[in-house]
Amino acid sequence: MADRGRGGPPRGSHRGGGPGNSRGGGKHHGPQGPQPTMDKPKREAILDLSRYMNEKIRVKFTGGREVTGVLKGFDQLLNLVLDDVQEIFQTVESEQTTRSLGLVVLRGPTITLLSPVDGHEEIANPFLAQE
Amino acid sequence: ELIDRCIGSKIWVIMKNDREFTGTLLGFDDFVNMVLEDVTEFETTPQGKKTTKLNQTLLNGNNICMLIPGSDGPDQ
Repeated sequence: MADRGRGGPPRGSHRGGGPGNSRGGGKHHGPQGPQPTMDKPKREAILDLSRYMNEKIRVKFTGGREVTGVLKGFDQLLNLVLDDVQEIFQTVESEQTTRSLGLVVLRGPTITLLSPVDGHEEIANPFLAQE
Repeated sequence: ELIDRCIGSKIWVIMKNDREFTGTLLGFDDFVNMVLEDVTEFETTPQGKKTTKLNQTLLNGNNICMLIPGSDGPDQ
């Protein structure tokens, strides 16, 4: 699956060559100035997740789920593989159920937030203090 | 590829809303729509098992949140 994702960008550059041929048969490699050379690293993730490999991170999903686990792997679509995952249910106080044991695959499209557990602390609710 | 290794074995699928499915993974596609067999559906909030479906179900990948291979679901 991940391979087919990487097959996309190279095919894009070939498509640029197609209409170029119909425009001017003579010019092959000349006018490549306006197009930036596609020498960008293939891994174009905004966040370099390799920093978090084997670290405990907290992931929030759309739908209000919260999960912590050790990051074992990821791909460009931001699907994650976490180990030793614990799901956090917030009812009154924090109720943790360690239901997810072992390896879990988290779908990229549902992830809204990633943060390391390291240096994460719970503070008193600042909105309640206003009353 | 991790999901590839699960084909043929039990998998526990958790959706974005409070629904979970356990079953045998028959296959999936690029969008992670999944085909499962011998499926049991769980609603997390009322804490009750609802339906047991056989005959292969297609699960829409749009709502799939987590995949847990080799698990029987919420500890049955």
